Amino acid sequence: MNRRVVAALVAKDIRLFFRNRLFGLVTVLGLVVYVGVYFGMPGSVDEDLEIGMYAPVVPPAFEEMQPDGVKLETVESEEALLLAITDGEYPAGMVLPADIMQKFDAGLKPEIDVYLWADSPAEVGEAVEFLVTELSYAQTGQPLSVQVLQEVLGPDMLDRQIPARDRMVPFFAVLILVAETFGMASLISEEVQRGTVTALLVTPVSVPGLFVGKGITGVCLAFVQVALYAVIIGGMESQPAIVLLTLLLGAVLVTGVGFFVAALGKDLMSVMAWGVVAMVVLSIPPVSVMFPGAVSGWAKVIPSYYLVDTLHQVAIFGAGWADVWRNLLILVAFDLGIALVGVATLWRKCR
Amino acid sequence: MSTDAIVAEGLAYWYGDLLAVDHISLTVGEGEILGFLGPNGAGKSTTVKMLTGQIKPKAGRAMVLGMDVARNIEKVQGEIGVCFEQPNLYEQMSGEENLKLFARLFGLRDFNPDTLLRRVGLGGRGDDRVDGYSKGMKQRLMVARSIVNRPRVLFLDEPTAGLDPTSAEAIRGIILEERARGASVLLTTHDMMEVDKLSDRVAFINQGRIVALDTPHNLKQQYGKRAIKAKVANQDGGLEDREIILDSRETPDAVRDLFATERVVTIHSEEATLEDIFIKFTGRGLD
Repeated sequence: MNRRVVAALVAKDIRLFFRNRLFGLVTVLGLVVYVGVYFGMPGSVDEDLEIGMYAPVVPPAFEEMQPDGVKLETVESEEALLLAITDGEYPAGMVLPADIMQKFDAGLKPEIDVYLWADSPAEVGEAVEFLVTELSYAQTGQPLSVQVLQEVLGPDMLDRQIPARDRMVPFFAVLILVAETFGMASLISEEVQRGTVTALLVTPVSVPGLFVGKGITGVCLAFVQVALYAVIIGGMESQPAIVLLTLLLGAVLVTGVGFFVAALGKDLMSVMAWGVVAMVVLSIPPVSVMFPGAVSGWAKVIPSYYLVDTLHQVAIFGAGWADVWRNLLILVAFDLGIALVGVATLWRKCR
Repeated sequence: MSTDAIVAEGLAYWYGDLLAVDHISLTVGEGEILGFLGPNGAGKSTTVKMLTGQIKPKAGRAMVLGMDVARNIEKVQGEIGVCFEQPNLYEQMSGEENLKLFARLFGLRDFNPDTLLRRVGLGGRGDDRVDGYSKGMKQRLMVARSIVNRPRVLFLDEPTAGLDPTSAEAIRGIILEERARGASVLLTTHDMMEVDKLSDRVAFINQGRIVALDTPHNLKQQYGKRAIKAKVANQDGGLEDREIILDSRETPDAVRDLFATERVVTIHSEEATLEDIFIKFTGRGLD
């Protein structure tokens, strides 16, 4: 086969590809999603440690000195500081007492509260303590002129750092589940494309029966795989009921997404294309677990956030029902909504 | 009590502004084969979809075995068999698995696919995957699948289209066997000859309306033109065509004159075909 023939074939295929509106749309949409994800991630390598600070009176040294690698950000109240740390905006924060300058002047050691979030690495606590000591030294000219009191918000993890692979757990769980989206979607799409669905629907098989059958298949395929994964990696050691329920809700979620993808796709290729878009979107929340601070709060609009967050809370912090029930409730709502949309669009296609 | 297996009463369906089926009425008796003929887009498929419960009529009523299809869809679908024009089999499964699947869907126990496979000429090929079947084999498996549940009503859409003569004849044989068993058959096809061979009655549909419905014989009698066709030698030694219409007052004289004044080389009678009648009704052929 000569190059001319190959070139002609390639040109023909490219032309055919872009004459397919669906492929064109998926290409553009995929591009938009990937670009959106790109700009959603931090644009530079942020090596500064951002520390929140509430200070009714800010000592000049604290205001003027900004040590390399540390960025002190002032907040309006102690409550706001605690909330920001809990929400993950700062890994740590400090509260300076209102009489700090009087105590410095009187040669007394003011008490400075340092708050740390539970899964902050131990180095962060040490760094903040060192910072406070150094700034106080700069202010007073005396060493050891301050007393630092550390308090951990949430379960204390300072003595137990999260290994990288544990951070990957929710990511892999989501990947396993999402892989089933492809399987489910291509199964349904092929059924519609080959017309076998029509053959089924002139037998006593009803449309709701067909969807229930497909739904059960999808949920089982996804759930069994991800539950096995959880068992193998020891993910059932803490709160197995919550983990199983969360994974089941995740399986329902991806099955609903699978229905939707199948309804959008016309053939295996377009199913794969739409499936990749779904996979990218659903995989964003796990990134926030693997790389804390990498993803902004908007990730909470993605259903898989609640799946990932629940698994993370349970696996890392040993969270119980009281801690995760809101997540589970939101996940149930997303499941219902997405399953409804998936079934409705697929129903429309089957008709 | 009605003995009609299929009753369409003023059935209508439209897609947006397009009226696909325009209030048609027809019946198919028990053990009867009704040939359902029409050009592409005439409304055949939409009518069958309404009768088999795939879509609900926008107007009128579809009755099968005395049951309103829209209201008793699962009961009706348990009693019918449908064979589609395009093969829609599970190609990654074997022929036997395909039949067993549908037998299970119909709730049949102790179903033996071998008998059915042999009946359609696929004996010994039941274990082979369908994607390795030829078109004719797939079509025969489609027919077999449509009779898995020994249906009382069969809807067959172009069951012999594109098949070799042997496969087509095998399928025609099965259709006649099903009728002999007592099944009613709605046979949708483009093939006028097939309809003529198999059907007890024929319905012509055009632009969503039934334009004629009767036995093939009656239709030919009523609307056809019988004629004598002859080839005669002219003075230059060439051949010329002559046609004498039968069943008219002038026919005897015309036949006499033909033999008295012309040198007849060949002569034969010609009957009207269903296609001629269809063209007469619709102004166009089936294709």
